[in-house]
Amino acid sequence: MTTESAQERDELASEYVLGTLSAPEREALQQRLPHDPELQAAVDAWERRLLDLTEFAGTQQPSPHLWPRIERSVERLAQKAPAAPSTSWWNLLPLWRGLSAAGLAATLVLGAILLTQTPPKPNYLVVLVAPQDKAPGWVIQASNPREIQLIPLGVVEVPADKALEFWTKADGWQGPVSLGLVKPGEALSVPLDKLPPLQPNQLFELTLEGANGSPIGKPTGPIQAIGRAVKVL
Amino acid sequence: MSLPEPVFDYEARLAACARGEQSALRDLYVQEGPRLLGVAKRLVRDAALAEDIVHEAFIKIWNGAAQFDPARGSARGWMFSVTRHLALNQLRDQSRETPFNEEHDAEPDEDAFDVQGHSARIHRCLEQLDPQRRSCILHAYVDGYSHAQISARLGTPLGTVKAWIKRSLNALRECMG
Repeated sequence: MTTESAQERDELASEYVLGTLSAPEREALQQRLPHDPELQAAVDAWERRLLDLTEFAGTQQPSPHLWPRIERSVERLAQKAPAAPSTSWWNLLPLWRGLSAAGLAATLVLGAILLTQTPPKPNYLVVLVAPQDKAPGWVIQASNPREIQLIPLGVVEVPADKALEFWTKADGWQGPVSLGLVKPGEALSVPLDKLPPLQPNQLFELTLEGANGSPIGKPTGPIQAIGRAVKVL
Repeated sequence: MSLPEPVFDYEARLAACARGEQSALRDLYVQEGPRLLGVAKRLVRDAALAEDIVHEAFIKIWNGAAQFDPARGSARGWMFSVTRHLALNQLRDQSRETPFNEEHDAEPDEDAFDVQGHSARIHRCLEQLDPQRRSCILHAYVDGYSHAQISARLGTPLGTVKAWIKRSLNALRECMG
């Protein structure tokens, strides 16, 4: 396999997308894909080239049972594991990165508490990670359920005509609620007096919006960082 | 002349799925469900099995939404790829290499692929292929036929079909860039 030329790789990708590979050939290729960015890129290019041929298949009206069935399966998944990872948790780099960032943040928080001699300990922690590479970017800590602190772990670049907007959504809420704009690199304290108290698994995220924030009160731009609240024992 | 429909933002719906918003998955289902089911049904040729595949595809879409990388292609294209490959895996795993059963013969002829009237670039590139070679590509992609099935269908030797497909794919890559 090491002698495979770029042309051979492209031909393999093209017949995979076309559908003419046999079952063992398909299986072998599907196992290679996650570890072989060049093959993945070749497959992606063929998927884009041939996509419009799906028009020839025509449409088929789904039975009324199909959506409720999908919905039930998704709900079961959501109950089992929110944002369920498909691989074993032991192999999840983002989890360990997040935990080490959380550990660092907890150390900083505890250190700060020791220095200032103020007794409250955080009862919630959230590590916000970038959706693409899962790099931790911010930590949220809450010493009481009515106020949270957003602490940056580094400085991010935000284009001049854009702003970072801070959002939260707990399970059962209709949609995310804005917690205001965030200046990159600065810590921020946000009172939650107009919202229900923090709950475990509550979602927090930062999205890139126009300079004055989202015009519609809902996130419209790309997610820069995302994470869920964990209760600290 | 009607006004163009407002653009449906697949990427935003997928990002919402990644945030756990099930209503976004429903939007995607309403938008593309019948087309995805059409693709699956045409490949596996069984309505119940096609629904199983679309069910599995939407679970994969839900689970994979957070990992979706827009740099690799469109969100819409990804939904079709997920569905097609689930159906193709199913087809190939059955490995029913019996050339054809009765349902196939009842299906419309290969001339039913009307290449004209499509604006997409792939259709213009297809038109440049010899009609028999074009049929090979469409039977493979749309119907999920194997090399052997295409060979039986067109009454052309297997080796010739394989060579035609290889050359046609090369020609399409040249034409599409």
